[in-house]
Amino acid sequence: MQNQEGLQADAEMASVTPIQATEVEDWANFRDDDIMQQQSAIRAVEAEKIPLVGDKEPLSSLAAEYQSGSPILLEKIKVLSEQFDAIRRTRGDGNCFFRSFMFSYLEHILESQDREEVNRITGNVENCRKTLQSLGYADFTFEDFFALFLEQLESVLQGNEASISHDELMQRSRDQSISDYVVMFFRFVTSGEIRKRSEFFEPFILGLTNTTVEQFCKSSVEPMGEESDHVHITAVSDALGVPIRVVYLDRSSCDTGGVSVNHHDFIPAISDAPSGTSGGSETKPFINLLYRPGHYDILYPK
Amino acid sequence: MQASRARLFKEYKEVQREKAADPDIQLACDDSNIFKWTALIKGPSETPFEGGVFQLAFSVPEQYPLQPPQVRFLTKIFHPNVHFKTGEICLDILKNAWSPAWTLQSVCRAIIALMAHPEPDSPLNCDSGNLLRSGDIRGYQSMARMYTRLAAMSKKG
Repeated sequence: MQNQEGLQADAEMASVTPIQATEVEDWANFRDDDIMQQQSAIRAVEAEKIPLVGDKEPLSSLAAEYQSGSPILLEKIKVLSEQFDAIRRTRGDGNCFFRSFMFSYLEHILESQDREEVNRITGNVENCRKTLQSLGYADFTFEDFFALFLEQLESVLQGNEASISHDELMQRSRDQSISDYVVMFFRFVTSGEIRKRSEFFEPFILGLTNTTVEQFCKSSVEPMGEESDHVHITAVSDALGVPIRVVYLDRSSCDTGGVSVNHHDFIPAISDAPSGTSGGSETKPFINLLYRPGHYDILYPK
Repeated sequence: MQASRARLFKEYKEVQREKAADPDIQLACDDSNIFKWTALIKGPSETPFEGGVFQLAFSVPEQYPLQPPQVRFLTKIFHPNVHFKTGEICLDILKNAWSPAWTLQSVCRAIIALMAHPEPDSPLNCDSGNLLRSGDIRGYQSMARMYTRLAAMSKKG
């Protein structure tokens, strides 16, 4: 849920609730199904406001959101605009991290035509498949999602029959039936990585007192709409070997004078990160995401 | 639509192949509609449902497996998390904790587990939930056993 959307959602709820109240006269017959239906109705209303993946907007549109808001945020956006010039918003449906990652990655391949990187990630996808198999997942539960991702990867490479343009990539990323399948692919990959290295991840999972890493994956990684945090990001970055930069935009400030914007680079633990990205010893992530508490969008560096 | 059909067909083949693997579950697809399934599950042992065979009806949405199947008991059952009239089941994996990693077969296993481990704090059947919450285990078990005998056991047997 985005900051500014929280308010809108509240306003929306207020207009929805009275209708519900008249419909539900007999609470004995008000069932879970009804609640699920109401939830999906609210989602549908949200959906009309922002597509799964939005258009590229100048960074000034971000500043416009906070015109009457916190001065610290406005300062930070100013700092941000020195490094980045555009933002692409994603829908706040709990899948925003994975969806941002998906679009950002495929767009990068489309623009760079980096076949070496495609070969590299394809190898890692195969390893993820083996991981899931060794964890006891039946092939038919995940193979369709894997196949659809590999299909997208193939199609952003130009020069074959299935090649697609940037417009088509946009369209597919907004087509729920394709977009959600790719998001689900990342959820499987993330879950597999966390469970494979459960001893490593266990200390980082919050509130894991009366549940297991496996349970965490079942309840907070695999289901669509479950939000992601550093655990998910670390896992998917490691599993696929793709470095990710997350820039944090919040009200925190430091006493040392000038306002600065924090970022964190998730660098894959396995040292086979994309080779051609920087040439130097330091890998600079080509995926840049903006994090505001509870939501991720895509950033474009200058 | 096409994706859900393909997935269900894979599950169908898997069910045929693994028929013997889980003798407590008999899952079958409707002859003419792959989106309708029924299952017969055995009441777990050392529970009031032991000896009973319970029928479940599955209705699979077109967005399956991104969305969960709808499942309900066709056989009457006295259980805190099953609606006494409609057979609706209160189980997280059939709602927000669903993921495509589940299958119709593993949903059956989860329902059997729920029969053995009721969650009286989120009851669909308040009478049943209240018996458990008030600690009247004997009352709960005898009611549940009675309905198992009445509804889930063959009259001849």
